[in-house]
Amino acid sequence: MTPRILVVDDDPALAEMIGIVLRGDGFEPSFCGDGSEALEAFRAVGPDLVLLDLMLPGLDGIEVCRLLRAESGVPVIMLTAKGDTADVVRGLESGADDYVVKPFDPKELVARVRTRLRPAPEPTAEVLTVGDVRIDVAAHEVRRGDAVVPLTPLEFQLLHALAAKPQQVFSREMLLEQVWGYHYKADTRLVNVHVQRLRAKIEHDPDHPRVVTTVRGVGYRAGQGG
Amino acid sequence: MVAARSPSWRTWPARVVDVWRSSLTFRTVALTVVLSGVAVSVIGTSIVAVIGANLYDQRRGQVEAESQRATLLAQNIFDSATATEGSDQAELEALQNEAQGAVLGSTTSPGGTSIAILRTPGQQTAQTIQNVASAGFPDRAVTEQMREAVAASQGTLSLQPVSLATASGDEPGLVVGSTLQVPTAGQYELYLVYDLSDAEQTLAFVQQTLWVGSLALVVLIGAVTYVVVRLVVGPVRVAAETSQKIAAGHLEERIPEGGRDVVATLGRSFNEMADGMQRQITQLAELSRVQQRFVSDVSHELRTPLTTIRLASDVLYDRRGEFDAATGRTTELLHAQVERFELLLGDLLEISRFDAGAVELEVEPVAVVHLASGVVDELAPLAAGAGSTVTVVAPGGWSDAEVDPRRLRRILRNLLGNAIEHGEGRPIVVEVDSDADALAVAVRDHGVGLAPEALERVFDRFWRADPSRRRTIGGTGLGLSISQEDAALHGGRIEVWSRPGRGTRFVVTLPRVAGGAASSAPLPVEPDDARDDGVVPPLGEWGAVPPSVEGRTP
Repeated sequence: MTPRILVVDDDPALAEMIGIVLRGDGFEPSFCGDGSEALEAFRAVGPDLVLLDLMLPGLDGIEVCRLLRAESGVPVIMLTAKGDTADVVRGLESGADDYVVKPFDPKELVARVRTRLRPAPEPTAEVLTVGDVRIDVAAHEVRRGDAVVPLTPLEFQLLHALAAKPQQVFSREMLLEQVWGYHYKADTRLVNVHVQRLRAKIEHDPDHPRVVTTVRGVGYRAGQGG
Repeated sequence: MVAARSPSWRTWPARVVDVWRSSLTFRTVALTVVLSGVAVSVIGTSIVAVIGANLYDQRRGQVEAESQRATLLAQNIFDSATATEGSDQAELEALQNEAQGAVLGSTTSPGGTSIAILRTPGQQTAQTIQNVASAGFPDRAVTEQMREAVAASQGTLSLQPVSLATASGDEPGLVVGSTLQVPTAGQYELYLVYDLSDAEQTLAFVQQTLWVGSLALVVLIGAVTYVVVRLVVGPVRVAAETSQKIAAGHLEERIPEGGRDVVATLGRSFNEMADGMQRQITQLAELSRVQQRFVSDVSHELRTPLTTIRLASDVLYDRRGEFDAATGRTTELLHAQVERFELLLGDLLEISRFDAGAVELEVEPVAVVHLASGVVDELAPLAAGAGSTVTVVAPGGWSDAEVDPRRLRRILRNLLGNAIEHGEGRPIVVEVDSDADALAVAVRDHGVGLAPEALERVFDRFWRADPSRRRTIGGTGLGLSISQEDAALHGGRIEVWSRPGRGTRFVVTLPRVAGGAASSAPLPVEPDDARDDGVVPPLGEWGAVPPSVEGRTP
């Protein structure tokens, strides 16, 4: 089945060009040029992934991303025109999984899209437990106690990567490689922001995390260690 | 101020020093009081000495005249008596009493006088009279030496100052000795002891008055100085406080103006200066805001079409095999130049961001060795293509330091890229080290090196070492300028050493802690082999560029 991709960008030339690139790589793009219509377009298309420009008429890309996240965990990749770091962080905090800085290379774009659409690696154990969090790998479901915690595919992948090897401390670079598919480009803010988002969902007290703990100067690990 | 929590005697010298350093008023008043105190003491002491000497001389003159008179009186009594009558013992003693009474009656000195009539020893005469002395005559006051001197004096007076033991302690006194010739009884010595305590008391009173007066004067001088200093220092202090507030960012702060004296002029000029500065700063801030917005707008406006062009050129480039030769080559040129344009635009925007001051350091704990190794791995294919091996030597830099990894990575990528490009396929060494304050990364190639005049311009924008050289990386000519700005933003620096034919060594030194200073140098700019070879010009003429690339303090 051809993956559907919603391109939300107000520049028609760029949107069309992205469409050509995506089609060339076997995706099915659809378009939306206005932030205020993005949510509607999303519901109508039901895409497998959203490419979202940050600067949009109508509704700001960050706001669109927040609204999208409120109703879906579908992968969102931001297109940012700026190297402006504050924008990138705001975008990630609003729920975007990854970002691509304009001007980008078609191969880079396609690689990012493929990484986000790729299913998580085959599970090593059916059910993993960290603290009071149970991860049902096969069902892609995470429960804390009896309550199901809704995680985006990326958050699930992040938690699964950590929980699958509870003895190992993961550096941010390792997580970037394993979860985001980056080999050298290492924007560790991706990891930092998504760990924060994950903690906000699964921890009782995100300021004193017990499920995803920080190992100072190294990275993160699942559980308390010891 | 030193905390007053522990008012122990141990801390007060430090507190005085602290007050001395911090308070101009205290310093001025203390100095004035000490100096005027010294002056008043010197003057007072000399006045007391002069008055004392005068008093003594006066009393001594008085005593001398009185004694002269008393001696004459006594001698007359003896002489007149013996001229008229025969002398017998009883009569002599009566005469002696009479003389004693006359002498005592003739003295007018305050403080009382004691008298003694003593026989000069060693005489053989027909008659003798008893030694007599008035009650309380201090025998110790008349010494043997004095007696000898008086005995030999033959009519002149001998004076000797003595100390008299009285009920109230030792008082100064004066002993006057003279000789009396008693007919038939020989030579006798008349001793008069004068008590000078009254003079002493006068002197003490004068002294006391002087000291009290001096003390009052010094206190008064201190008070006057304090008032004057307050008058002068007050406005200066207000100016100092105001300028501190302005420096802290309260640009609207001003000194209250009033009057037409020099202090008021100071206040007015200060306020005018502050007005000017505020205008300038506001203008600059506005300019910087405009610039920032412009950069951001240009960034967005240019990048969107550039992204489209880039995507289009890449799509074409991937299909260049399907085109005829000319179109294929056109596609290649388009692709390469779009890439170059993109790099140039990126660097230009970065530089203008630095110029607008619109850059921020995002520090996080980073093990620099790992970061450097990452950059080396990243550029390994490029190095391999150029035939260079890249070695990482890391005696230090393993523990975390607070740096902006994105910027440090950019610096290292740039330096290593340059080294690969100019390294002539020879080995490249990346060194990492750190000390307590700073961390340093050195990148050394053994390639063509730079001529001294080139070395001076190496950080200039758009400057290229050799414009004719084929560029494999396609740098923009802004790389080193950006690296230098990145280092400066950390509070660090980049230094360079280079010799033609021997290669180039760049050393970036950053503080370990954000906001700290990289005052030390964990790695020297000059490599160990800098002096190995005599062909190069002598050191000192040119060598390592002096720290012209000093980081500005953020």
